[in-house]
Amino acid sequence: MKCLFAILILFCAVLQAAQPQIPIEKFSLKNGMRVILSRDNAVPVVSVYVIYDVGARAEEKGRTGFAHLFEHMMFEGSANAPKGTHFKLIQANGGTMNGQTHPDYTDYFETLPANKLAIGLWLESDRMRSLSITQENLANQKEAVKQERRLSFDNQPYATGIVDRWPELAFQNWQNSHSLIGSFEDLNAASVEDVAKFFKTHYAPNNAVLVLVGDIQIPEARKLIETYFGDIPSQPKPRTPDLAEPSPKPRSGVYHDAHAKVPGVVIGYPGPARHSPDYYAIGMIDILLTGGPSSRFQLDLVKGKQSVVQYQAELGWPFCSSVDFRDPGDYAMFLLYKPNFTGDQIVAQVQEEIARLQNDGVDPKELERARTLFRSDRITALQSSHQRAKLLGLYEVLDGKPEYINTELDRFLAVTPAQIQAAAKQYLTPERRSVLHIAVGAAPPPGSSGATKGGN
Amino acid sequence: MAQTIDRTKPPETPPIPTYKMPPIYETQLPNGLAVVLIEDQRFPLVTVRLSFQAGSKFDPKELPGLSGMVAGLLTQGTKTRSFREIGEELASIGGSLNGHSSPDVLTIGGNVLAENTPKLFDLLADVALNASFPENEVQLQKQNRKQGLLAQHSQPAFLANEKFDELVFGDHPYHYIAPTAESIDRMDQKSMIEFRDSHLAPNNAVLILLGKLPPRNETMNLVREKFGSWKEKPAPAAPARNFPESKRQLVLVDRPGSVQADIHIGQLAVTRTDPDYFPLLVGNSILGGSASSRLFNDVREKKGFAYDVHSELDRRKDAGVALAVTQVRNDVVEPAMEAVLGHLAAMGNAPVTAAELSDAKNYMSGVFLISLETQSGVADQVDLMKSMGLPNDYLEMFTAHVRSVEPDQIQAAAKKYFAPDKATIVVVGDASKIEKPLEKFGSVQVEKAK
Repeated sequence: MKCLFAILILFCAVLQAAQPQIPIEKFSLKNGMRVILSRDNAVPVVSVYVIYDVGARAEEKGRTGFAHLFEHMMFEGSANAPKGTHFKLIQANGGTMNGQTHPDYTDYFETLPANKLAIGLWLESDRMRSLSITQENLANQKEAVKQERRLSFDNQPYATGIVDRWPELAFQNWQNSHSLIGSFEDLNAASVEDVAKFFKTHYAPNNAVLVLVGDIQIPEARKLIETYFGDIPSQPKPRTPDLAEPSPKPRSGVYHDAHAKVPGVVIGYPGPARHSPDYYAIGMIDILLTGGPSSRFQLDLVKGKQSVVQYQAELGWPFCSSVDFRDPGDYAMFLLYKPNFTGDQIVAQVQEEIARLQNDGVDPKELERARTLFRSDRITALQSSHQRAKLLGLYEVLDGKPEYINTELDRFLAVTPAQIQAAAKQYLTPERRSVLHIAVGAAPPPGSSGATKGGN
Repeated sequence: MAQTIDRTKPPETPPIPTYKMPPIYETQLPNGLAVVLIEDQRFPLVTVRLSFQAGSKFDPKELPGLSGMVAGLLTQGTKTRSFREIGEELASIGGSLNGHSSPDVLTIGGNVLAENTPKLFDLLADVALNASFPENEVQLQKQNRKQGLLAQHSQPAFLANEKFDELVFGDHPYHYIAPTAESIDRMDQKSMIEFRDSHLAPNNAVLILLGKLPPRNETMNLVREKFGSWKEKPAPAAPARNFPESKRQLVLVDRPGSVQADIHIGQLAVTRTDPDYFPLLVGNSILGGSASSRLFNDVREKKGFAYDVHSELDRRKDAGVALAVTQVRNDVVEPAMEAVLGHLAAMGNAPVTAAELSDAKNYMSGVFLISLETQSGVADQVDLMKSMGLPNDYLEMFTAHVRSVEPDQIQAAAKKYFAPDKATIVVVGDASKIEKPLEKFGSVQVEKAK
């Protein structure tokens, strides 16, 4: 009796969904634009999210930084909404907005009071239909992008090493390894014709997904979408860039950072295919190593060895999270450490932590904690309508499966200790590892001793 | 199916909807602990904030940064739990707890899967009442904070904020935005326990619980069980509100190798309870508080000098600051400074237009609405209202206050608080490249970056 009772309870727990279920309604317009609607009337706001299936990895040689430059152009006005209208109209209607360039996609989004939905649709459809691509706008945005580069990268510690140098070590295929923010030289070379061609090819409705999440009435929303986007012509599907990587090999380098005052090291391993069983296992390994105050890095490196000061890690780091990259991605981490250690010692300590997973596996209690923490983080992230819209859009563009928003968590939670051990052995080995040491201070002049010896 | 529409004009839409805050239940325990409960069933989560009047302005004079160190160490061990046990218990309930200190308030914040709410209360009470400041954790925290301080000093924005607050707040403890290497050296277990014992008292705190809570009587029973026996004690007084007179001054913090100049221009302004507050808040939005503001449109969009240019109000309990910030490439420092100073002056010289005013009011009302989407968004708003000693209808009335602001009120407030002749100007950059162009704006005092 007692035993049966226990089994029943367990069964109930399994039946209960691990997270709140997000409603999804998906359809396509005649021009091929995919639409996803998700209603939630808790707060009278709506998030409008447009994602285009093109990112920095689609750039061509001599045109680095182009996807990002183009993202800036999308705020420079369109046929009926001249320059300045976009920011002004969204804000004058109580909304927030932005756009972001990623390796594999570019997204544009607004969150508005719910009864202002038509404003967002009007603006997004007008620029998809009729972006103003002029010499003046292009010249102005080249300068803005250069300013952004100076501010966010050239004048900051660590940023240049991570953004420009790290991808060259982590990847061998130029499509994956080139600078996503681009060089000033390439930015200068971009012409109005280049921009117009890029727009026509990649910003067609059949290369985009529109997501609405929030306090909407589905029939009304469908009608509005049809009205604003239905007659934008589709274009031939652009070619997909070849992102395949050759077999991994160990690589390492040093970046001398004139702005840095605390030494750092980036460590990465080419990761498993998206949604393969190992993908979920690496996701759980990341939580075990770096998630929360009882993670292994916290207990063993920050507290035990007292070598590491701060760390961050993720499948897809630094540009992506585990949900938003196309293959190939890598599991990478960035650690700042105390100057009485060398970078090589930190790399060895990290590899030792991984070796413990490979050799001893994981205690079921520890894994259960990691699962609970992971579940809590995922639910917390679902609260804002923008985050839900983004996840729905990403799963549609990258996988064609927006319903992953409701099912992926279960697949992470199902990972077993044996899968974790196997994935650690297969993927996180020194033979597949890339390392970038970020050394404090500008490089010594060539020829002087220690110019290439890094890690301290 | 599709309607025919006039695409050449933006669609007509109704005014921004009103939204009632979720009901707030407030009570107080006999020991003086203020308790605020907000039911929010949207997600199976609970969010907590326990805020004390114990921010960095309460730091002893020789120990700037102490409040922040205490906040960080609360979760690093208690009389009955090690750091490891706290961390493992938090993970096992899908929870987090973090101590954090701002200029006015020390807050322990966290969240948890709703089904584990009682366990989070237990941990929260333990770290608030029984933190033991273990000697080894104190030493480690001191070492790591020193490295963190070094890393912060490699960031130009940090250097600018540090110097700006030093100049604007003078001898008041708001002067410090971080500990100093020397103050970290002086801190020890004893000074931390003393700070906790004198400042972390129930009558000096507000406990905010928000989310899918157990029924109210159950929740209150839990609160009484965990926090009821906590002894009240006299709450230390905040330091006197003595601040220097605002005056025009220009300091250049030399950061050799900088490819940009980080420019901060501002002065002391008002707190949230001042009659000038809402006019200044709306005026700030028009000047540089959004991507359709005057500064953004001119300095970024039209002149192309900067990626980031904005203005902000730093709103503390005992003082406020109005501030314009931008980072520009070295060769346009002079025209960029001129442009920003010009826009500051213009706010006081002429009324804002009716269109600017109504756009700004709509923007602020909408952003307020959007901030209520998440539990942490609501909790932060309520925490702010309680910790800053604002009237109980502050959030309910926020939008109405914004809507009532008139152009002449903005102009009058701007004349006082966006005044170039009273502005403290801090520039962080390569002195060899930008000292000369700065001389046009007054005598330049050059200092080395710390």
